[in-house]
Amino acid sequence: MIEVENVSIAHGSGRRELSTVEGVSFSVSAGELVALVGPSGCGKSTLLYALDGLITPSEGHIRIGGDEVQGIRRDVALILQDAGLLPWKTVRQNAALALRIQGIEGDAHETLDSLGLADFESSYPGELSEGMKRRVGIARALALHPRVLLMDEPLANLDSLTREKIQNLILDLWRTLHFTGVLVTHDIEEAVFLARRILLLSPRPATLTEIVANPEAGAPDYRGSDAFYAQVQYLRTKLGADET
Amino acid sequence: MRQLGRYVLAFLVLLGAWWLASWALHLAHGREVLPTPAQTFSEGLQNIGLLARAFANSAWRFLLSLAIAFSLGVPLGLVIGFQRRLHQYLSPLVHLTYPIPPVALLMFLYMAFGIGEAVKVLVVVAALFFQVLVAAQGAARQIPQTYITSVRSAGANAWALYRHVVLPATLPSVLTAARVSVGLGITMVYIAETELGLRPGPESGLGSLIDHFTFRTELALAGVVGLALLGLASYAGLELLDRKLCRWRHLGGHGEA
Repeated sequence: MIEVENVSIAHGSGRRELSTVEGVSFSVSAGELVALVGPSGCGKSTLLYALDGLITPSEGHIRIGGDEVQGIRRDVALILQDAGLLPWKTVRQNAALALRIQGIEGDAHETLDSLGLADFESSYPGELSEGMKRRVGIARALALHPRVLLMDEPLANLDSLTREKIQNLILDLWRTLHFTGVLVTHDIEEAVFLARRILLLSPRPATLTEIVANPEAGAPDYRGSDAFYAQVQYLRTKLGADET
Repeated sequence: MRQLGRYVLAFLVLLGAWWLASWALHLAHGREVLPTPAQTFSEGLQNIGLLARAFANSAWRFLLSLAIAFSLGVPLGLVIGFQRRLHQYLSPLVHLTYPIPPVALLMFLYMAFGIGEAVKVLVVVAALFFQVLVAAQGAARQIPQTYITSVRSAGANAWALYRHVVLPATLPSVLTAARVSVGLGITMVYIAETELGLRPGPESGLGSLIDHFTFRTELALAGVVGLALLGLASYAGLELLDRKLCRWRHLGGHGEA
């Protein structure tokens, strides 16, 4: 579904050129959910933006469904770190924004309803809790019925209870909607809970250091099991979390 | 409603202060210097037709200038503020022309636009235009990147980006600039009506009226009250516009909405 082939991304030009991603290759098959994990500022979000078509790689190729990514696509949706909601639009308008901009028929009512947001359609983001804002962000992406869902730290800065609830929600959605998912996170437990494969990235400029198989992800009682903690501990060591 | 009550209170306080000032000045100089509110309003009522025509002409001049200044200044300011390249090249130009007082170029303006209505409106527009331009430019530079990424990722082209992000994000600042412009705008209307071009008689504007009746102090002062009312009406209109267009900013307010 997604093929990333020897992708490098650089900002600026000439002597001020700054390399953020260097020679990364991986692929994600249809219906798979993978996580990109690496230290803060390593360039993993940049890589995700390139998958969304917001940034053009300076080298290499990104293909989705066999076609080279050359800009925003209808079948790819991005969930931003802080949900990226526009404060001057209501929940309904925010959720339907991509539909409206891309001239697609229909509204986001059903999607909002399925995420338990039906009663808040006329509210503004400023009136919602942080957790509800993230749900609206998810609804906005899902309203497009995307084949590929890109998630940029969708649960950063949430309290742990809300974070677990929304992690469960993402897992449910993935099981029922069968989208192909790429999750960028610096939260190791989140990656282990959600992703069947975890791609470890090095500090900037990001290179792919290891792909960790995590076949048990997605099982409802995986969180809290011994296997879960063993996997988390393995990743912590790999990422150097124990180094001082 | 409570807001209206506060305006009534402010009006009464102002009347009291005015009355006190005219009483104290009378006492100090042994003759009338500042007419009392009662004298002013009674003289104003006797000439209410003339005052109303002058008010309407000034209000029209002011609103027309405000509308022209905003319809030119806002789009230009937003584009200069939002497009980094344009900002780099055009900012120096703005900063060079901003401080030039339009009245300093009066002779050239007369020669180019004649001594009629056009030059008056032009001077007011020129003063307001830069206020608006600089405010819009500043606001456009403050737009958080996440809104832009969010809308671009939804598939927005340049036009949709302006429509869904740049305009609504900067609207509160633009309306604030409009409020600031009210004071300057009315001052400029006064200057235009008293100092510029032809002076066609007292009914042609509140400034002309005040100038014309310099020695009928009650009537001149009634004209000043007219200017204050014009300002108040503009503030009230902008406040309403703000509550209507920026509803999201007035959520869970402090019991005033």
